[in-house]
Amino acid sequence: MASSSGNDDDLTIPRAAINKMIKETLPNVRVANDARELVVNCCTEFIHLISSEANEICNKSEKKTISPEHVINALESLGFASYITEVKDVLQECKTVALKRRKASSRLENLGIPEEELLRQQQELFAKARQQQAELAQQEWLQMQQAAQQAQLAAASASAAQQAGSSQDEDEEDDM
Amino acid sequence: MSEQSMDEKVERATNSKNVSLPMSRVKLIMKSSPDVSCINQDALFLTTKATELFVQHLALSSYTNGSGKEKNTLSYSDLANTAEETETFQFLTDILPKKILARDYLKSLEAREDEEEDN
Repeated sequence: MASSSGNDDDLTIPRAAINKMIKETLPNVRVANDARELVVNCCTEFIHLISSEANEICNKSEKKTISPEHVINALESLGFASYITEVKDVLQECKTVALKRRKASSRLENLGIPEEELLRQQQELFAKARQQQAELAQQEWLQMQQAAQQAQLAAASASAAQQAGSSQDEDEEDDM
Repeated sequence: MSEQSMDEKVERATNSKNVSLPMSRVKLIMKSSPDVSCINQDALFLTTKATELFVQHLALSSYTNGSGKEKNTLSYSDLANTAEETETFQFLTDILPKKILARDYLKSLEAREDEEEDN
């Protein structure tokens, strides 16, 4: 979504996202348009509230970056402690999922080769294997052919020799 | 009650792998607050998630406490009333004044002028 104005104060959460959340929270309820607009603005206000409070807490702690701890304390002091448990749970869950994904891919990463490269290599290996198999099959076939030919030749010369042998005997008799 | 919320938690955990609100936008809004400098990524996530919960909380509260419940609607005044009546939502009263009729406004203006004249 392109932002039409450069004014920071006009920053709001996209209306569509808010509409979706309202729909999920209050299904089948008709919500007036000005009420929706109001919720959008309340969101911005809430974010400002939390960030200001968290920022103050952060400054007091002499750290430069607002940490999750600061946000949680801000929620607590502003009366939104009821959100804390769920918010922490979801964060934990996200981290666990991310960790699992990292573990799975780190086995590959340990080779120092990126995934696309590995895929490419795999394809190459497959292609090579196929080729080798094809060559092997061809060789075998040739060998079979040759063997068959030799067998034929052998058979032919054997019978020829037999014939020659029998005719030679006849000749010898004649000579005597 | 605790059993129900446990089920809800499990459901939500499996449904939402992430947040519905765009974190980049939330970050921009946070940075437009005066003096806010650096925000840790996890802190941003927590804030975004908290904002989501806030929307749900506000909508649900306003609807439940509001007069629109019979008609199955949620109106501007439902929200405004809830903001005024609920302590944690009172920070919103600055941006959502209860809509008042023009004539009432004029009356209050006149009343103020009278006061000043008296002084």
